[in-house]
Amino acid sequence: MADEFEPLIIALCCNWCSYAGADLAGVSRSQYPPSIRIVRVMCSGMVHPNLVIDALTKGADGVLMCGCHPGDCHYQEGNYKAEKRAEAIKLMLPDFGIEEERFRLEWVSAAEGARFAQVVKEFTEQVKQLGASPYKQ
Amino acid sequence: MAARLAEEWFAICGGCEVTILDIGEPLLDVLKQVEIVHMPVLMDHKLFGQTGEDAEMAIPAADVGLISGGVRSDEHKKLAQEMRKKCKFLIALGSCACYGGIPALANTFSTEELLEKVYRGCVTTEKNGLPCEQIPTLTDRVYAIQEVVPVDAFLPGCPTTPEMVANALIALLEGKPLPPLANKSVCDECPTRREKKAVSILKRRFEGAEFVPGAPLTEMRCLMEQGILCHGPATRAGCGGSEGTPRCIRAYMPCEGCFGPLTEKANPMVDMMGALSSIGLDPKQIPDRAATFNRFSGAGRLRPIPAKR
Repeated sequence: MADEFEPLIIALCCNWCSYAGADLAGVSRSQYPPSIRIVRVMCSGMVHPNLVIDALTKGADGVLMCGCHPGDCHYQEGNYKAEKRAEAIKLMLPDFGIEEERFRLEWVSAAEGARFAQVVKEFTEQVKQLGASPYKQ
Repeated sequence: MAARLAEEWFAICGGCEVTILDIGEPLLDVLKQVEIVHMPVLMDHKLFGQTGEDAEMAIPAADVGLISGGVRSDEHKKLAQEMRKKCKFLIALGSCACYGGIPALANTFSTEELLEKVYRGCVTTEKNGLPCEQIPTLTDRVYAIQEVVPVDAFLPGCPTTPEMVANALIALLEGKPLPPLANKSVCDECPTRREKKAVSILKRRFEGAEFVPGAPLTEMRCLMEQGILCHGPATRAGCGGSEGTPRCIRAYMPCEGCFGPLTEKANPMVDMMGALSSIGLDPKQIPDRAATFNRFSGAGRLRPIPAKR
């Protein structure tokens, strides 16, 4: 057990949909890997690329960014902004020598507890395949 | 007694020395109180004694030391250490000294690649050996002065502004602390009108901005929103001096980012890519984004780009 690589993944979940979705996953006792550390943000649109790049260059193995489904944003269009920023982040990751697969943007609504668990499971598997972050000492 | 001033230049064009001259009339008052003891651009003061009789390079002791340009060779490194030893107060003059500046764009390549390109790689170049006799060796990359020796004050800008140099020198002569650098971005001082949404796709560099000549700047739309790449969001304010309005904006031109990043640890590329995408411009269109957004801050920030997988 001790030898198996357990990745450290930072999840940035929006207050109105994804964080509630993660909450539902917990309340409904859905099982998902313990690799995730959830940070609640008010909206996925406020996640500046700096936050993601910082996390990845300071030792996180992956970053998961979750927001409301398109059209569902509590602030009308925050998640469209998040989508644009996610594109920019994906573009920049190779400049830092980080694999694109270490970052993922997902839409999770407040009713999708099972989906949140599924997404975390999939993403953890994906990051596990990549191994530890090149920035990890 | 006059304050003793030493100045040294490393990897630089010389523009920041011209800025000292640009101070204008206040310079006359400053010069009365200053004795220049070492300044290669102005006076013939040799490093190894006037006839080369000394074994060690030496700079006369001074109260204030100015260094412009980044460290590119062993000689620069030694001179920077000598300046630090002999000067009570050391100022990094200009963006090259503060952040590496334009010469630090070379940090995108390894030194071997650079030498190969310059002395052998070009089609029009006669293939020659590398110069190796009686010249200082290049360092592995361009360093900002602060990466080599501790620096007491920074005067960024490409070139830096006469007002900043004058204020710094006057403050030092009066024994007061130097005015601090602005802690906000160029956008915070920019008077143009912002609507938080871009009107067009990114324009090419020299497709001009739309504005009414002579009308106040408050009536001009934000240049970034007009689709012109402006480095304002990730650049330190202060180039406008007492007038406030940033220098390039006054000329209806976008900010070039010459005052460097806002904080020591900031990453202008990430900041700018974020700023571009948040107003709806396509960050994919930026050619060579690492170098474009670190144009003046390459020391420590630019490194050879990892090969694509």
